[in-house]
Amino acid sequence: MATTSSVLTDGTRLSRTDRALLRLESLLNLAAGITIFALVLLAIANVLMRKLLNAPVPGYIDWTEQFMAIFAFLGLAYVQREGGHIRMDLLVGSLKGRVLWLFEFVSVLLMLLVVTALIYGTWFHFDRSFDFNAPNWSTDSSIDIALPLWPAKLAVPIAFAILWLRLILQLWAYGRALRTGDPRPVAVPLPEDPAEQASKEAASVAD
Amino acid sequence: TEWNVSLWGQRRAFTEHVEKLAELVEERSGGEFTMAISYGGLSNNRENLDGISIGAFEMAQFCAGYHRDKNRAITVLELPFLGVETLEQEVAVANAVYAHPAVQDEMAQWNARILMTSPMPQYNLVGTGEPRDTVEEFDGMRVRATGGIGQVMEAAGAVPTSVTATEAYNSMESGVVDAVAFAQHAHLSFGTIDIADWWTENLNPGTVNCPVVVNIDAYEALSDEHRAILDEAVGEAIEHYLLNYAELLQRWDEVLLEKGVQKVQVDQAEIARLRGNADPIHQAWIEEATSNGLPGQELYDLTVQAVADNAPE
Amino acid sequence: MDQLIDMRALLDGVDTFTVSLWLSGLLLVLVVIGVRVAFAAAFIGFLGLALHFMGNQGFDRGLITAAKLTGQVPHSKATQYALSLIPTFILIGYLAYYAGLTRYLFEAAKRWIGWTPGGLGVATVFATAGFAAVSGASVATSAVFARIAIPEMLREGYDKRFAAGVVAAGGTLASLIPPSAILVIYAIIVEQSVGKLLLAGFLPGLVSALIYGGLVIGLAKLRPDLGPAIGGFTWKQRFEALPGAMPILLVVFIIVYSIYFGWATPTEAGALGAGVVLAMALWQGMRWGQLKGALMEAAKLTVMIFAMIWGVLIYVRYLGFAKLPEVFADFIAGLDYPPYAILLMILLVYVVLGMFMDAIGMLILTLPVTFPAVMALNGAEAGGVGALGMTNEEAAIWFGIIVVKMAELCLITPPIGLNCFVVAGVAQDSKMDISVQDVFRGASPFFIADVATVAVLIAFPGIVLWLPGLMG
Ligand code: NA
Ligand code: NA
Repeated sequence: MATTSSVLTDGTRLSRTDRALLRLESLLNLAAGITIFALVLLAIANVLMRKLLNAPVPGYIDWTEQFMAIFAFLGLAYVQREGGHIRMDLLVGSLKGRVLWLFEFVSVLLMLLVVTALIYGTWFHFDRSFDFNAPNWSTDSSIDIALPLWPAKLAVPIAFAILWLRLILQLWAYGRALRTGDPRPVAVPLPEDPAEQASKEAASVAD
Repeated sequence: TEWNVSLWGQRRAFTEHVEKLAELVEERSGGEFTMAISYGGLSNNRENLDGISIGAFEMAQFCAGYHRDKNRAITVLELPFLGVETLEQEVAVANAVYAHPAVQDEMAQWNARILMTSPMPQYNLVGTGEPRDTVEEFDGMRVRATGGIGQVMEAAGAVPTSVTATEAYNSMESGVVDAVAFAQHAHLSFGTIDIADWWTENLNPGTVNCPVVVNIDAYEALSDEHRAILDEAVGEAIEHYLLNYAELLQRWDEVLLEKGVQKVQVDQAEIARLRGNADPIHQAWIEEATSNGLPGQELYDLTVQAVADNAPE
Repeated sequence: MDQLIDMRALLDGVDTFTVSLWLSGLLLVLVVIGVRVAFAAAFIGFLGLALHFMGNQGFDRGLITAAKLTGQVPHSKATQYALSLIPTFILIGYLAYYAGLTRYLFEAAKRWIGWTPGGLGVATVFATAGFAAVSGASVATSAVFARIAIPEMLREGYDKRFAAGVVAAGGTLASLIPPSAILVIYAIIVEQSVGKLLLAGFLPGLVSALIYGGLVIGLAKLRPDLGPAIGGFTWKQRFEALPGAMPILLVVFIIVYSIYFGWATPTEAGALGAGVVLAMALWQGMRWGQLKGALMEAAKLTVMIFAMIWGVLIYVRYLGFAKLPEVFADFIAGLDYPPYAILLMILLVYVVLGMFMDAIGMLILTLPVTFPAVMALNGAEAGGVGALGMTNEEAAIWFGIIVVKMAELCLITPPIGLNCFVVAGVAQDSKMDISVQDVFRGASPFFIADVATVAVLIAFPGIVLWLPGLMG
């Protein structure tokens, strides 16, 4: 079931940093998966408790929305590491060597720019909901049972910050590949032809 | 000057005063001061105050109950069983509270200045099955009611049940909930009235408070002439809103008749018992507001006084 | 800074509409050169907002306002309750596989309808339709059935292209028959009831399955070498195959029953289904390692989809400030052609885009512009009937089903067709001699079937609107 990663490793500092970051990223992605699982259980509990005991989970929708921030964002860097974010690889799929690394470098650089803006913006989005002097440190709350929103809002800039680190690492790796002309650099997802990509997708449902 | 105005949903009775305001302002400034009203294009409804605070648009509408911690002071207007009966009374009470410095300070933290309110009728219950008109009958009733109204229902033994507004119809039809608390226009637009058997005409458990605010910088940057035009148009805009809503309420009676929905008159003694349940909630609000550095008692007394002073004949 | 770059002067004479068109063009370029779509859209959205606010507030303040506004979108758009269904639907697919549901389903379909011409192909179509009732994602459905149905068809001497094509196309049924992740996404973007859209997909999904089945039978009659009928099962054998497939029926029954009899809202019912499938998977001896793998994969897919959603919505937020959708809608409404001709043109654009794009990405990217346009095209008064012969709410639901069917079509059209890639991938993984080209060739007749389905849905909108109409 485990997806075979197409990221090469070796003993360089770059690769070791990659794997250290990966440990954190995998952990966060697993936390996201467990949250999905927990929300399924919460939904079932809500239905059963409402029907059988006439005592639904108070503020069920509010709670669900708070936990959504975890599965929606915590895996961002992990997916980038695995090369999973959706893209159109018609063009890059036909490129090789330095030209390819140049395209990848520029592409990651663009991502870095917008992610930097997003860290800034999502931080202030959190900041507007947070105040040390307010009850529960909260200046923004959910509609039904007034849960403080700042913990969920804080998860977002944190996830983007880890993605930012991942992007820096990929810039480093692509930059090095650009310099050395290495056809199979470490620490970045290597291009796969569609068939290779699909066989991984297939492996993910294999027994 | 062109102002961007962030509303949500669709043009409806609830937004008519803003539409009217835009019309009046444009007309009286000879087209020099216009408002571009957007329904959801500029912000989510729960982030309109955020948008004002960062200067993304100049004017916006929001409801205090969407995010009580953002606007603790005006949530006094959303306390259950304040005894408000008409929209005119609602406007007067809201204006009295809006004028309090504590409210203005809190709004100023969002760089916002309250321009006017959007009076909402009381969130009376619509339900299926036998009419529920005594406190005993609320026991075990699953009700879609958020915030303070949900709390006061819970105190009476009802079970606040978390379903989205868009699923309210389906939830009532299938029996996930027995009753739903909305204003009339929402009962109409979410279709809950279509499958209802009864509607409480005089329970009046409370409502939400939805101000229209302007960005302070933008307001102050207006020329004196334009600012005067804006300020003066508010009264007429509210008047237009009230007239328009009165028509909707007239239609409401026809709808009840047409759908065969029974108007339930809850006995005053029963309402008094429910109000008894609301008292601890009022006290809790005062205490929490006070611990948060707001003049809780003062705001509460001001509200209660304004309700009494503006009671319909 | 303000003196150095006076954006107002720079943009003088260039109206916001033109700028938004240029930026949209630039977005297309970024997507084509392989920038991850979610981030390309977020980047362009941020850039557009920055230009917009620099024009009004000067360089520094404009940039800050734009960044803060951009930063609002991810949290506020990604934490909407209705979207909480998407990971559930994804997880169900993985769990159902471990519960062995797919294998039993195919076996039962084979014994009951294998006797038709091209029988295993027909069985595949209806087994995927059945699986669609628990799976919310097309690609996952194709992947699962490629593993089960293709080897069996090859053993019986079926044409390999034909076998692969049926599986690739059959997978797309998962997005019409509820549950469906893509229908939830549509509902969120256009602000319509999730429950109604899910219900609306049910009959079109069945119609689509019937048309697929008819196509397979027709093809097999025309060219018997594609694959023989598989007969000879006794009624006893047929009934013996049912218990294994019953769990699917049980899940469907639980979902329908719980909605109908007040156990759950439509949203909650999806989670109930997931719970049942999970219990079955555990019953079948699923281990922690497998569960962990399923959770990792579900989380990964979820993040990919959610990134697309907030990324594109940042771009959409910019469009809101640039007022592009309104302008385009006015343009469409002002066109002097019959409404159905304009609708047809929009659908043709989808066919072309769909050749190159992923289904969910295409939908999220285009809907902000096409949906208001179609609404303007219908142009009904509140409560009244518009140019397309329905109310605006009906038109929204109807267009949703049509456009999702179009998006599914793009999964089986070359050069980029995810379902076909996946089927070829599974085949290579299992040492079957089937190339991507083979799958595309095999799937090409189903393109015609899909066009026929869309035509039927346009001609008889009642197929879409009847079930949601019952919801009031
Ligand atoms: Na499905
Ligand atoms: Na395609």
